[in-house]
Amino acid sequence: MMSRKYVKREGPWIPSVPLVYNHKLPIANIEKYWKGLDEGRVFATKCTACGTVYYPPQIDCPSCRSQQMEWVELPKEGVIDTFTKIYARPQGYEDFEPYIVAIVHTGGLRIMGWLKAKDERCVKVGDRVVIRTEKVEKHNKHIIVFELTDKIC
Amino acid sequence: MRKVAVVGVGQSVFGVRNDVTLQELAWEAVKEALEDAGISQKDVELSVVGTVGTRGYELMPSVVVNEYCGLVGKGPVRVEAACATGSAALWTAYTAVASGQVDVALAIGVEKMNEVDTATSLAVGGRAGNYLWEFHFYGTTFPAYYAFYATAHMAKFGTTEEHMAMVAVKNHKYAARNPKAHFQYEVTIEEVLTSRPIAWPIKLLDSSPISDGAAAVVLASDEVARRLTDTPVWIKAIGYSSDTSNFTRRLDYLGLRATRQAAEMAYKIAKISPGDVEVAEVHDCFTIAEIMAYEDLGFVEKGKGGLFIAEGQSELGGKVSVNLSGGLKAKGHPLGATGLAMIYELTKQLREERERGRQAPLRKYIGLAHNVGGTGHYAYVTVLTR
Repeated sequence: MMSRKYVKREGPWIPSVPLVYNHKLPIANIEKYWKGLDEGRVFATKCTACGTVYYPPQIDCPSCRSQQMEWVELPKEGVIDTFTKIYARPQGYEDFEPYIVAIVHTGGLRIMGWLKAKDERCVKVGDRVVIRTEKVEKHNKHIIVFELTDKIC
Repeated sequence: MRKVAVVGVGQSVFGVRNDVTLQELAWEAVKEALEDAGISQKDVELSVVGTVGTRGYELMPSVVVNEYCGLVGKGPVRVEAACATGSAALWTAYTAVASGQVDVALAIGVEKMNEVDTATSLAVGGRAGNYLWEFHFYGTTFPAYYAFYATAHMAKFGTTEEHMAMVAVKNHKYAARNPKAHFQYEVTIEEVLTSRPIAWPIKLLDSSPISDGAAAVVLASDEVARRLTDTPVWIKAIGYSSDTSNFTRRLDYLGLRATRQAAEMAYKIAKISPGDVEVAEVHDCFTIAEIMAYEDLGFVEKGKGGLFIAEGQSELGGKVSVNLSGGLKAKGHPLGATGLAMIYELTKQLREERERGRQAPLRKYIGLAHNVGGTGHYAYVTVLTR
């Protein structure tokens, strides 16, 4: 074993006065998306003036400055563009087993979701998936999940 | 626009620095930079403080730093561009001098990341994108974003985990010779490959550490610079660009579009080509990031970054000597300080003041700093010459 020289200087310290943020996150303009997830559907928005499609959905079109948007549902199949398995979990996710997050392209767009698979080394870029939604009880929210179409990993 | 020179540089020791506050840490770098330039605070007309600040208890850190460093009344302009904050500070100070508004400006970059625990730090870093659509729903972390790049790069170009490990081995080798580096020891390919997974395929030793540190750079106009020093280092160009906040809206996951655009701007202004660069500090927050940087900066064609490291082209004396400081990977990555620490290192390199074993051989005296913010959200490319 080589010597391990690194900089770690500790000294006496005191704790700060705790600061807790509880943010309100407005969803008034994207409630349709929320309801869609509850029903197993994933929505994007499309500008009726210039045709630009937005995912994540948004109500303003910076391309043509229109606010004339319609909701469009995304297909229920897609293909994996890339993925990772998160082992070092952040605050808020410590209680979850390591999870695979994937980016999937579908309907000319890309979406993020959790891939329902155990062995990341058997998953490949280009694998086909089925897109659905699932309730995460611990966070009381619905999320997008992917399942491999052609194999079990 | 006037010519602008680097006339003084300073850097604190990087690492876990729970022995000092943010302002005490900043002063270590500012004091050294002022002394290096041979000036005092009264000569500084503008201070720019770059700090991300999302892990600290000070919510207005720039005024705290400015007061402690004896710079009250000299600014401060506070800037933030995620991990490229130091470069945004440099650009702000550079523009003030180049435009003629001031003759001497001081850019300070500082970050304390170890005042909170690792889970909190991961939760802050995981918000580096678009909170609702990424972290809130899916618990992304900062390493996870670079893992997305690594997975895609490996699948498309055959880049391997061994290639990535070689970047760690190289950068630790130089950090072992850098007394200001966070990790001053060497690692082996085997150790990198068997280190624990953080966000597969990224492992612990593919990752830059959670570091505290500061760096400072004094800039001066042509006329003042020639009065202050015999060895000015000139800023030839600073290129910049950005990319989407939402990761799903990126062009692809094979490289950083913002880097390519910033590099193109910088090369054009400096009237050089990638082949002219002799020494570079590139943004290796994870080992895959350095491999993509070789490609996006034009040192090698897209997809050949793995080969570039395997052939030793980025070693000292190779085609371009990359990250002789140890890089973010082993020198450490205190967000706000990183961009200015790159300028610190390149200034020392171009003055030929570096220790044996990590001084780049120079003929044209052209250096390049490449600093990325977020997961490719921001990019700055700076060209320096002696």
